[in-house]
Amino acid sequence: MSEATATTSSAAGWLTGAAATSREGWAAPDSRRRLQLILAGIWLLDGVLQLQSFMFTRGFSQMLAGAASGNPAVIAGPVLWSAHLVGQHAVVTNAIFAAVQLLLGLGIAWRPALRLALGASIAWALAVWWLGEGLGGVLTGSASPVNGAPGAVILYALAAVLLWPSRRDRPAPFTAGRSTGPAAARLLWLALWGGLAYLALQPEARSPRGLSRMISGMAAGEPGWLASAGRSMSQQLSGRGLEAAVALAVVLAVIAVGIYLPRPVARTAVTVAIAIAGALWVAQGLGGLLAGSATDPNTGPLLALLALAYWPRRDAEPAAAGPGPGERRPT
Amino acid sequence: MTGPSWLAGALACIMIATSIYCLNRLLISWRRHQPTERDVDAVHVLMGVAMAGMLVPRLQVFWAGGWEVVFGTATAWFAWRAIRGLSRRPDSRQHAHHLQHLIACLAMLYMLLTLTSAGAAATQGVSAAGAMPGGPGRQPTLALAFAVALLGYVIWTADRLTSPATATATVAVAVAGAGAAPTDGGGTGGSRARHHRSGPASAAEYGHRVSGPASAAEPGRFGTSAAPAAQAGPPPLSPRLAACCEIAMGVTMGYMLIMML
Repeated sequence: MSEATATTSSAAGWLTGAAATSREGWAAPDSRRRLQLILAGIWLLDGVLQLQSFMFTRGFSQMLAGAASGNPAVIAGPVLWSAHLVGQHAVVTNAIFAAVQLLLGLGIAWRPALRLALGASIAWALAVWWLGEGLGGVLTGSASPVNGAPGAVILYALAAVLLWPSRRDRPAPFTAGRSTGPAAARLLWLALWGGLAYLALQPEARSPRGLSRMISGMAAGEPGWLASAGRSMSQQLSGRGLEAAVALAVVLAVIAVGIYLPRPVARTAVTVAIAIAGALWVAQGLGGLLAGSATDPNTGPLLALLALAYWPRRDAEPAAAGPGPGERRPT
Repeated sequence: MTGPSWLAGALACIMIATSIYCLNRLLISWRRHQPTERDVDAVHVLMGVAMAGMLVPRLQVFWAGGWEVVFGTATAWFAWRAIRGLSRRPDSRQHAHHLQHLIACLAMLYMLLTLTSAGAAATQGVSAAGAMPGGPGRQPTLALAFAVALLGYVIWTADRLTSPATATATVAVAVAGAGAAPTDGGGTGGSRARHHRSGPASAAEYGHRVSGPASAAEPGRFGTSAAPAAQAGPPPLSPRLAACCEIAMGVTMGYMLIMML
């Protein structure tokens, strides 16, 4: 009986982390915790964005249905089904979506719920990536890092994995490697930035006016200064789609392999990654945040967050002496 | 303000409840001589009422321009406190705490001025209810910056929600161990000390009322060290619930600002 109680208590402790925090109190945020808090902030912003008037209308379900276009039937079918469901119950479903995202943000920020919220965020992000974003359009041939491929929401899941508060941290030269280990973390970086390089060379992106059209399309409805920046970028790339796409792909490929190089070079690669993330965000019109119909800030901030998690430290972060936020100390 | 009316109503209810709670904090703090941040609680009372009025126009209780004067004064007050805090004690946490209220007051001013402009335009024939998006006086970039800053502070506050947990027990035990009544609490303080003497169970019962570092000397609400507060006098009034008020206000204000993009 007492064993069963202990197991239940242990499970509850794993889920909530409450035992840890009540026993051990509060520690100042380390580098991983700061990145977790940024992730929490982005989730919270997403939740608030989900409460915009537009999201409670049928326009939102039509936007979701739009993600199905160009995708294979096996991907598009569930997307259309979920869009139909959202269209029929727009208010209820959107209120649930907003509540989930608000809770994910607050859950990651509130230490006892960290593990639960991060785990739930991975499941939620994967579901939204398919049903809401049509896998970010990566199978459509029209996806490009410039228009938000591979989808912002999959980057939330990746960030949650890399920032997971493991019970026993591994020594790693960067924060992202503490839970998965440096080798796996580097592989994920290679896959992410290598994948972005591949997407930069998709047929639509390398057409003469492809990138230009993407950027000008996303600048529509933005405030003057942002629309002007978008128009300027669009004009400069007009007719030079192939050259721009190849140049972007080369830079992204260099970033991808840069993490395997010695620390000074890796640091440069991460710096360039942050700069590219910023440039992509401007090209994406800050994800349409100022236009009143954005559900998230798009990929720019998430790519920058992930890059920060790979910032090479002077000394490898040692395995944690004690449990981090939301972790339990072995008894 | 545009948006679903049920949502505006629900948020207005939360703001009214927060206002009433903060008003109670002020009264309890005054009657029991328990330290709390009275300026912050007072501003929360006003903010709750003002935001409820913005969300549900029927709940507006002030004359035109009245709220602008109130929050203009509050902005000046928190700006002074932030500057003074920075010069006296360059502790980033305390500075950030004052900055949080400064930004909230500025955001209130922005929302009030934007709504006033929209109202003026409506009287001149420009679309009324939908005057928010694309309306006169609207600065979407500024509104987004305020929203991001306030939501950031919500996260910052939520991260520190667990910080008083250990301090709570420590302070209670410290007071019980010392057997000393708080110095400036009079009879009320003595009764509170007796309350503490019942040990850990009492600490748990009293838990949400006590925070170690948020002492009377320095009214910041969260920190990591419990000992100074035990020596400083009566424990501050329910710092975690105060933090929950800040979270509720921050999220609601973030929502209102996003609705004004």
